[in-house]
Amino acid sequence: MTGFILRRLAQLIPVLLIASFAIWAMIFAVPGGPVGMMVGENATPEEIAAATRKLGLDRPIPVQYFNWLTHAVTGDFGQSLHSRDPVTKLIGERLPATLQLALVSILVALVIGIPVAITGAVKEGSWVDRLLNGWNALALGVPTFWLGILLILLFSVELRWLPSASRYVPLWEDPNQALRSLILPGLTLGLYVSGILARFLKASLVSEARADYVRTARAKGVSERQIVGHHIMQNALLPFITIVGLMVANFIGGAVVTEAVFTYPGLGRLLIQAISTRDYPLIQGCIVVILVIYMAISLIVDILYAVIDPRIEYR
Amino acid sequence: MLHPVPGSTGAAPPLLSLEDFTVAFAQGAGRTRVVHGIDLTLQRGEALGIVGESGCGKSVTWLAALRLLGKRAVTTGRVLLNGRDLSGFSERELADVRGGRIGLIFQDPTSCLNPILRIGTQIGEALRLHRGLTGKAAEREALRLLDRVGIADAPRRLRQHAHELSGGMNQRVMIAIALAGEPDVLVADEPTTALDATIQAQILDLIRDIRRDTGMGLVLISHDLGVIADLCDRVAVMYAGRVVETAATQDLLGSPRHPYTRGLLAALPSLEGPRVRLTPVGGTVPSPDAMPPGCAFAPRCAYAEAHCGNGIPVLQPAGTGHLSACRRLDALMGEWQRQAAREAGRHDPVVQDLDWPNRDRQRELSA
Repeated sequence: MTGFILRRLAQLIPVLLIASFAIWAMIFAVPGGPVGMMVGENATPEEIAAATRKLGLDRPIPVQYFNWLTHAVTGDFGQSLHSRDPVTKLIGERLPATLQLALVSILVALVIGIPVAITGAVKEGSWVDRLLNGWNALALGVPTFWLGILLILLFSVELRWLPSASRYVPLWEDPNQALRSLILPGLTLGLYVSGILARFLKASLVSEARADYVRTARAKGVSERQIVGHHIMQNALLPFITIVGLMVANFIGGAVVTEAVFTYPGLGRLLIQAISTRDYPLIQGCIVVILVIYMAISLIVDILYAVIDPRIEYR
Repeated sequence: MLHPVPGSTGAAPPLLSLEDFTVAFAQGAGRTRVVHGIDLTLQRGEALGIVGESGCGKSVTWLAALRLLGKRAVTTGRVLLNGRDLSGFSERELADVRGGRIGLIFQDPTSCLNPILRIGTQIGEALRLHRGLTGKAAEREALRLLDRVGIADAPRRLRQHAHELSGGMNQRVMIAIALAGEPDVLVADEPTTALDATIQAQILDLIRDIRRDTGMGLVLISHDLGVIADLCDRVAVMYAGRVVETAATQDLLGSPRHPYTRGLLAALPSLEGPRVRLTPVGGTVPSPDAMPPGCAFAPRCAYAEAHCGNGIPVLQPAGTGHLSACRRLDALMGEWQRQAAREAGRHDPVVQDLDWPNRDRQRELSA
């Protein structure tokens, strides 16, 4: 098992190198180049030359990349052009908030999605199934920004139960406050993703239910409840894990709309701000972090897969 | 409609019997009937073969009798196990019958085992449900069962998964699972169809051995008359959802009394005797929603006459314990007897080819 994990980690290195080069090369795509961004439109040639030297842009390209890479490896992505703060510090403030929201959202999605999927699969073709299909379509079809606004109107404006603007409070410091801030954005994201998860898991359950081994289980006298819970569910979980992993990864950089609606201080919004101000060190830092988390999640999914599915050899 | 039961001793009730059993599948608004009122009996310890081409309803009959086909399958008639009607059983009672009184094995054993559970877990499940064994006791019994079905290195196999075993070994595991509940009868649905010829013979030998040791009854469903002849005391030939002929195995093979059975026999390859051109039965089984009027076999039958299209033929006596559902039974029996008389003195290839017990003896001698 350790060997399997180490091998998977080693496989990630070339991916990271190629991706990091693409991310680094992005500075050349900024209109006017990075120097133009720094010094402004009316800069004198001397100012431009000074900035170029300061950024190291006068050196050969491989050297520039190597310098950037060696700094990035130690977690140093330079300074934000906009706030002059270290990029690492800015990301460090947002990352826990994002992870916390991702955790709550995926929990909401699982708690809603799994029972919906199982009920739909067991009662396939009945009115309950059709009702749940409609529910899933609704969860998928309602835009998250609109659902977010509706939730704010109901729970913050009308009932005054929950705050409309969510702050980041670490769960381990003040769980109560943290949850109050997380419930609405977590519901908004979780409901949407529950629709995806439920559809996927139900399809997976229904196809497993037709497998020959299910007939064998029935033929040896296993009860329906155990057939669903023990035989079908375990097999259907395999492809499901992949989707759950993808969804969690998606929350890391892709929850921008929800973060904006609830003014939640997440990584997605930081990235959008960085893009809109052409703050390229910050953009690079955000993308590298999102990429690394993405890869870490796929690694975890691979490991889980290997643990659950005996057909995958990890020797 | 009840028929005299061939081989019945009279006093003992049959272990298992189907009475006017029908199966239909819900299709859109309507229903398509695929099994049309069949009567079958199995005495305690008896081996009954069910033979017929694909799509004639032989598997569906037995799966539906145990309600293993889901809600889409609608059945009528009675399924009696020791005189009690299974169709009145609750799911819970039926679960005790499945695997407990009646064990099942299927075609393609590898896909019939749960891919992510260990072999030991899957045998243990049956032991827990039907014998209340758990933990060490269950493991000991699982080891004994694997040993019984001829799997070497049982302790290691218990910890393995279906994909690590060969198809033949997986079928042995399936048999071990079926034996775990100590059933009165094993229903084997095409148990050797997906296996190599050599493995096929081993699995059939294993089933024969187990029957000799335990006296377990057998319902062997197969499209292969050779396999059936090898193991069964009695054969029921099914065509298009009906039993068209039933008799003791030797009787059926020696003097088939239905044109369809004769067709199946003529299509069998032989291992000994002169090489003869095999005669396939022309045409295919009619689809359940496009059944011809009258005798369903008439369109493919070499002996069919115009009146075969009027009314469905019923099973009628065609010898001792021999029933055949053919409208021209009397006429054909005379014709076939004259033909047999003409051929007397020289080998009848059909009968010679199917002298399976002899073949077995020769196999044992050559081994």
